[in-house]
Amino acid sequence: MNTVIIINLNGNAFHLEEPGFQALRAYLERAQEQLKDNPDKAEIMADLEQAIADKCAHFLRPHKNVLIATEIDAVLKEMGPVQTDGEPPAGTASPEQADTRTGNAPPAPKRLYQIRQGAMLSGVCAGLAAYFDIDVTIVRILFVALTLLTGGLWILAYVAMMLVVPFANTGEEHAAAAGAPFNAQEVIDRAKKHYGEFKDSKEWRRHWRQQRREWRRKWHEGAYWWGHNLQRNVHTLSTGYGSHLGATLLIPFLAILNALLFCLWIAAIVSLATTGGIFGWAVAGSVPLWAAILILMFVYSVIARPLRHARKAIYYSTGGYHYLWFAAWYEILSVGVLIVVCWFAYTHVPPVHEFFQHFAQHLSTMWNNVIDSFRHTASPASTAYLSAAGAAASSAFLALRG
Amino acid sequence: MTPDQKFGPLRKGLLEFLILQIISADKVYVADMMKRLQDTDFATQEGTLYPLLSKMRREEFVDYEWQESESGPPRKYYKLTAKGKSQLAEFKDYWAYLNTTINQLGR
Repeated sequence: MNTVIIINLNGNAFHLEEPGFQALRAYLERAQEQLKDNPDKAEIMADLEQAIADKCAHFLRPHKNVLIATEIDAVLKEMGPVQTDGEPPAGTASPEQADTRTGNAPPAPKRLYQIRQGAMLSGVCAGLAAYFDIDVTIVRILFVALTLLTGGLWILAYVAMMLVVPFANTGEEHAAAAGAPFNAQEVIDRAKKHYGEFKDSKEWRRHWRQQRREWRRKWHEGAYWWGHNLQRNVHTLSTGYGSHLGATLLIPFLAILNALLFCLWIAAIVSLATTGGIFGWAVAGSVPLWAAILILMFVYSVIARPLRHARKAIYYSTGGYHYLWFAAWYEILSVGVLIVVCWFAYTHVPPVHEFFQHFAQHLSTMWNNVIDSFRHTASPASTAYLSAAGAAASSAFLALRG
Repeated sequence: MTPDQKFGPLRKGLLEFLILQIISADKVYVADMMKRLQDTDFATQEGTLYPLLSKMRREEFVDYEWQESESGPPRKYYKLTAKGKSQLAEFKDYWAYLNTTINQLGR
C-alpha cells in the first residue's frame, strides 16, 4: 500500500504513487536546472510535461487509474535526461555534462564542521567522522582513549575544536562536511537509496529494540564483571579470620571514599545548576543544563557502581550474619563522613554557608534553571538532544536501579 | 573507447540536420520524429529532442503549428522555414563534399 499523490501535468491530472511522484519531481527539477538559461524554458517544460502525460496515459486502463513507481521510472527512462547542448560549444561542454549526469561529479570541497544532529556533546566527533568518512563511534572511542592516555589533556583539544570549528547549519554545509555533492537531485537520490533500508519500519524498530536489549545486557555483564572481579580479589585477600580483619580495614576506606564521592557529586550538581559550570569550569554553551546533569548522574553511577559491588563482596566474604555488623559499620561511617564534610563545608566554605542559609530559595532557583534549560532546548531543532538525553536518562536510571 | 563513444559527438552534431531532413519530407510531430529515428543509430529521446527543437525554432530553421488530434490533446506539427530549407541544402552539399574529401584522401 502506498500513498497516492495527484499531480497536474500540463493540464492533465494523474494519480501517482509517492515514490513515483518523488522521482518525477526530481526529473522535472533537474530539467528546470538544465534549462535555467534557456529563453524557451517554459515552453520546453510544457512540452516535456505533455510528453510525460502522453506516456503515462499509456499505463492507464478503465480500472487502473494510479501510476505505480516502476511505471514512472519507465516513463522517465524513456524520456531521457534533459540536455541542452549547442548553447555552449557542444564539444567542450558535453564530457563534463555526461559526468554530472552519471553522478561522477567531482567531489565538492570538504570542510570541517560540527554537526549537531546526533551529537553527544557539541558535534565535534560527528563532524570529524563526516570529514574522514568513518563511523562516529570510532571517533568517539578514539577521543575517550586519547583523553585517558593523556590524563585528560585531550579534553582541551575537544574544547578548542568546540570553540573554533563552525557549526554546519545549512544543507550545503552539511554536504560540504561529508564532501558530498549538493543539489536537490543528489539529496533525493540519496534519500531514495536510503528509503529502501528504512522502508520496513517494523523491521527497523525490531532491530532497534534488539540492539537496546543487547546494550543493556552488556552493561549489566560489564558491571557484574567489575564487581565479580573485585569480589574475587577481596576473597583471596581475606578468608576466615583474615577476612574479618580485611573487612574491618576495608569498610572504613570504602565508606569514606563513597561518602566523599557522593559529596563531590552533589556539589558538582549544585554548582552546575546555580552557576552553569562545574566548580568554575564552564560547560559548553551548547550543552543544556539538564543534559549536563544527566551526564553527571551517569558518570557518578559508573564510578559508584564498582564501589558498591566491592562493599557487597566484602559482606559476603565475612560469611554468616557478620555482614550485618559490617553493613551497620559502613552506614554509620558513611553518614559520619557526610556530616563531617557538610560541617566542614558549612564552616569553611562561604558559598556553602550561604547556600545552606538560603536553602529553600536556592532549591527553587536550581529547579527553575533546569526547567528553563529544558524548555529552551526543547525546540524542534534539538530533537537530537532529546533522544540523546533519553538514552542517557534510561541508562542512568538502569545504572541507579541495578 | 568504443566506436560508439568515439562517434557520439559526431552523431550529436548531425542530429540537427537529420531532423531538418525528416521535417523536410512532411509536417511531423515529435513522436513521429522519434519513431523515424528509433531504428537508426540516431535514436533519441524527448529529453534531448525538445530542447533541440526549441533551439532550432529560435534560429528560425523550423516552425510549428498546433493541430488537433483524434486521440488526445492538440499536437505541435513542425515544418521547415525557408531558412531551414536553405540550411538543409547547405548541409547536404557540405556532407557530399566531406564524403569526396574522405574518399579522395584514402586513395
